[in-house]
Amino acid sequence: MSAVKALLARQPNVLKVLSASGQLGYGIPEQALAAGLAREPDFIGCDMGSVDPGPVYLGSGEMATSPSITKRDLSAVLIGARKLNVPLIIGTAGTAGAAPHLEATLDMIREIAREHSLHFRLATIRSDLSAARVGLALAAGELKALGGNLPVTQADLDACAHLVGQIGCAPFERALALEPDVIIAGRACDTAVFASLPKMLGFDMANVMHMAKIIECTSICCEPGGRDAMLATLDAKGFALESMNPARRATPLSVAAHSLYEQADPISFTEPDGTLKVDAARYTALDERRTHVSGATWQPATRTTIKVEGSALVGHRAVLLAGTADPRFIEQLRAILVTVEQTTRGLVPGEYEIYPRLYGLDGVALWTQTPGARAAREVFILIEIIARAPELAMAAAKTFKQFLLHQGFSGRQCTGGNIAFPFTPPELVGGPAYRFAAYHVMPADDHEQLFPVSIEQI
Amino acid sequence: MIRSKNAGPLTLSFDLMFPTNETFEAAKRAPALQPAALAQLYNVSPTDVIVTPYQAARAIKIAMPRCIVSGSPGDHDVYGAQQHVPLLDLEI
Repeated sequence: MSAVKALLARQPNVLKVLSASGQLGYGIPEQALAAGLAREPDFIGCDMGSVDPGPVYLGSGEMATSPSITKRDLSAVLIGARKLNVPLIIGTAGTAGAAPHLEATLDMIREIAREHSLHFRLATIRSDLSAARVGLALAAGELKALGGNLPVTQADLDACAHLVGQIGCAPFERALALEPDVIIAGRACDTAVFASLPKMLGFDMANVMHMAKIIECTSICCEPGGRDAMLATLDAKGFALESMNPARRATPLSVAAHSLYEQADPISFTEPDGTLKVDAARYTALDERRTHVSGATWQPATRTTIKVEGSALVGHRAVLLAGTADPRFIEQLRAILVTVEQTTRGLVPGEYEIYPRLYGLDGVALWTQTPGARAAREVFILIEIIARAPELAMAAAKTFKQFLLHQGFSGRQCTGGNIAFPFTPPELVGGPAYRFAAYHVMPADDHEQLFPVSIEQI
Repeated sequence: MIRSKNAGPLTLSFDLMFPTNETFEAAKRAPALQPAALAQLYNVSPTDVIVTPYQAARAIKIAMPRCIVSGSPGDHDVYGAQQHVPLLDLEI
């Protein structure tokens, strides 16, 4: 009997959920995972992705994590789940959850199974979307940017290297109905990884979604926060939280504060299946390290909505790195950069964009600059150049470098050179550059057709 | 505690957590933490700044659109984790 079938048949009224990783592939802390497995959880969930690292991974199809550590983490959770014969659910395979990420993750799972002679039923959920399907929402005026301004056209959608829809519980429920032992999903809501099985078992959805929202980041909800495995125990009234690292305490305040994390609104969370509200939630200390949570509310969606993420190639990047400590050069640096850019454009024809960052002045800031800030002792100059062809980006970087080195300016003493190079060559190949071309929400009445599930015997 | 982080690639979000109910209440009333003042600090429209107090965590959440989409060419802070700095100088 498969692990999912056994759990659904057992119908437990208390459910232990182990969150093994909030972003699998960076190294799962071993001791806490072992402690979590020793508690014999009813199922294990892992999130494997994020939009945090930017558009490059969704665009390129590559993982943000290294193959060796990713395989190590997958081995740890797969072997642990198979030993206990409990379901393992992994969402947002391979960082971004598009087809190449999912395939690479599935290849690793099959390889681990071969190496350890594991046999199980593996369900897969695909979450790729076609530009034509997203275009229907665009044409209907139903494609809304999520939390900011990102104008999008059909041409932008067509230019996306990959487009994915972030799935909610429904596709997981269809995969669970295939009675697997392991589910690997493409782009998925972190919550759906942890909420789908409890939902099928009939636990209260408000508690289920609130639990899922908190444990998807493992022990970040603790004091001090960390990446160790987290155990949630669902009961009829709510759920209890406990970090599998004894040094981390889940306190009422630390757990409540987690609602803030990476959210625009700390009180109301809209998911494909509905909206969770936590303003009436109660957080009660069970002891110094455990907190019980109840009282959130859940409003099921009247219409399923799906978040769409798309990443498009914008060109190829070359990067120039240099420092300076000359006070007069620093004083006139912004004007000098304009001159050097003009010179470069005169000598290196073609279409490219130049983006300087001046660390020590305002390289980090996205905020409004306060005039009259004190002068920096040293400034690090990073010049980003993006062109259609990598050779053109590099040509512009090399010319920019040489003219920045020797550009004259008023009161110049440093006629040997204006800048210090940390190493040579100071121009680096940045590789293909991408941008998020879509980060939108659309209604998806056809979500059952959009996200196919399949099963294979390993 | 004062921190910033993206809430998705289009949104910058800030968390301000206070040690006591008194400081939390004072912060809720502080002119420096109203949308108009924050909009000026970050060069966005006041109507785009959302300030949400959250009593259970003695916290104030601020959300606003990013001026550049995370990771696009020319971005300064892909994770948005270093944009809290101007808030460090505010007086409540």
